[in-house]
Amino acid sequence: MTPVTTLTATPSQVPAASDTLPALCIVGVRKTYRLGRVRVPVLHGVDLSVSEGEFVAILGASGSGKSTLLHLAGGLDRPDKGRGEASRIEFRGVDLNTMSRGQLDRYRARDAGFVFQFYHLLPELTVLQNVVIAAMVRRGFGYAPYAAACRDAARKLLEDVGLSHRLNHRPVELSGGERQRVAIARALINEPSLLLADEPTGNLDRATGESILTMLLEIRARRKLTMLVVTHDQHTAARADRIVRLADGRVVPG
Amino acid sequence: MPLLAAAAVWLCTVMVLVVWSVMGGFLSMLIGSGRTVTGDVIIAWPNAGFPYYHDLIDRLQKEPLVDAAAPMIESFGMLSLPDGRLQHALIRGVDGPSYARVTKYADTLWWKPIARPLDKDTDGMDPRLHGLGRSSWEQVFQNGMTLTRRSEITGEPEAAIVPGVEVTGFNSRRPEGYYVPKVMEKRLPDGSTAELDQFLPRDGKILIHMAPLSATGKAVEMTSRTFPVANEFQSGVYEFDQEFVLMRLDAAQEMLRLNAAKRLEKRDGPTGGGPRVVAPGEETFDDPAEQLVDDPARVTHVIVKGKGDTATSEGSQALKAACRRVYGEFAAAHAGSVPGSGDIRIFTWEDKNRTMINAVQKETSLLLFLFMLISLVAVFLILAIFWSMVAEKTKDIGVLRAVGAGSAGIAGWWISYGLAIGLVGGVLGVAGAYLVVYNINPIHDWLGRQMGIVIWDPAIYYFFKIPNEVDPAKAAWVFAGAMMSSVLGAVVPALRAAYMDPVKALRFE
Repeated sequence: MTPVTTLTATPSQVPAASDTLPALCIVGVRKTYRLGRVRVPVLHGVDLSVSEGEFVAILGASGSGKSTLLHLAGGLDRPDKGRGEASRIEFRGVDLNTMSRGQLDRYRARDAGFVFQFYHLLPELTVLQNVVIAAMVRRGFGYAPYAAACRDAARKLLEDVGLSHRLNHRPVELSGGERQRVAIARALINEPSLLLADEPTGNLDRATGESILTMLLEIRARRKLTMLVVTHDQHTAARADRIVRLADGRVVPG
Repeated sequence: MPLLAAAAVWLCTVMVLVVWSVMGGFLSMLIGSGRTVTGDVIIAWPNAGFPYYHDLIDRLQKEPLVDAAAPMIESFGMLSLPDGRLQHALIRGVDGPSYARVTKYADTLWWKPIARPLDKDTDGMDPRLHGLGRSSWEQVFQNGMTLTRRSEITGEPEAAIVPGVEVTGFNSRRPEGYYVPKVMEKRLPDGSTAELDQFLPRDGKILIHMAPLSATGKAVEMTSRTFPVANEFQSGVYEFDQEFVLMRLDAAQEMLRLNAAKRLEKRDGPTGGGPRVVAPGEETFDDPAEQLVDDPARVTHVIVKGKGDTATSEGSQALKAACRRVYGEFAAAHAGSVPGSGDIRIFTWEDKNRTMINAVQKETSLLLFLFMLISLVAVFLILAIFWSMVAEKTKDIGVLRAVGAGSAGIAGWWISYGLAIGLVGGVLGVAGAYLVVYNINPIHDWLGRQMGIVIWDPAIYYFFKIPNEVDPAKAAWVFAGAMMSSVLGAVVPALRAAYMDPVKALRFE
């Protein structure tokens, strides 16, 4: 596969991969949601370390807090402010808690790619546009000079995931597996080093889920991606380098 | 939904621009109409008038800001019309050629040869296209220009009048815009009757009564004289066309006793006394203490046309100031014989009609304000539409946030969307307003024909034609307003989208 390095990336605020630092380091993270007056604690001090290029599966039942953990790792949400305890989510040594909203936006645009269970494709856009839009978001007003390169990169990615014949189709015209492939291509267009997947095969039949997983593993191998995959499926988790079990908002011994 | 928002912007843009163009055009026509019939500046000493006006006109015409000046007399009069009706009128005594230099008199003369029918006269029924009996349109036009008509008895040109085309009631205005003389039944000498058109410039005569005033402003003996009708004018200003009658200056001076005369004046010395004016041919020389002196002809007005841009308030005020200065020099040269420069009235058409112009300006502003208030509905409509679109796109917003879009980017995207809707609605609105305004007269005529609705009555609005021009500056303002309204309507939903919690957005069902 031709790497998408034709795009001149703006330097990220996080340092490059290091042999000594873990890619992702989560220490003592707590998260409580409020439902009206009711406080619902979801995570009770989660510790987790993911090395560069490692594929970690977080296995847990529904409501165990695994999606919340993924959102926190992706900078979509912030953990509770610690009361004296050390609470950090570090990506390559930089604590996401210390980042401003803008820095978190840039982190999601450049360093972390998301894949969701329900794909979350934009229904009005074509397959190609759904992939390109992530590059547009990353470039912002400076997108125009890179437009052609971004489109080429998106085409190449879609070709890699076997959708070169579906470029101008709308998501509604695709099968579940195809939609998830588009979502994976979208997550990879900005060449992130961390892929965060929330039940990527959860909405697919076993065979399709298997093929998606195989494809993810191939991509991971080619790109040396660090992958944090949330799943409640033992079979999916079994394909990971390491399984971390989450129950009631805590990491439990496997 | 975005189409609904664009349609709201489009309709509001059309509405505001049409109202502003028509009312603004009406105001411009009102201000401009004065120049058609009165010039730019009027120097007036009503009733008594002032002498040596030729000197004043010469002085004015040497002024760089002045293009031309002309003498004029204005007074009230009564008309005895051929059918026995009595009607009051404003009589203007004018010298045709000089009056034509200051005003658009030649253009306003109605009965003249025309090469092409009026726009709406598709059947070519205008009598000016094909003659009316033995009248030669060119001759009738020349009669109007000189305010004379050849006498049927002597064959010599004699002083005539040019009434406004709506004054006598002998002309019918057709919906196509042209006039035809009314046809009336007339009893012939042999006892039979015949239908004859009442085309006054051919053989019509009108008896005019005027009340001259003495130097002290008291009415003296009423004067009456029958004038042939030379032509009729149509200025486009209903008020003028319905009230004014133009008369040759010398005839007006004579009727109002403003013509040149000899004045019997006491010689200076022990036997001296106040002056006594005597009519021509009544001079007496029986008192050695008296002497005859010339009492020059007088006019009540001198009207002035300026050079350059006198359409603006600044231009007309500069011209007025120049006229006041020239009059000051003139008054100094004729001290004691003409009104002092502090007494004379010098005003522009706008000054004279300030109350009416202000009223129209206020009415325009009020209408504009009301319609802008109504247009606020569009802002709230866009807000409501965008609000529901943001709700509908909550998950998409979450997706965009997940791929790295910032709050500002999301807000900017929605505001750009509002801007695009404003652009589409604004462009279509301005185009629609141009279409409506340019065709407003045919639309009005069509409404009149189909539903009997006459909104623009010339008797109320002064003009026969609804103003049908769009000022590009106004169009630009309204367009900018449409854009701003759209952005304003999009701001709150944009902020809602921008500050949406991405996690909640992604979980939104």
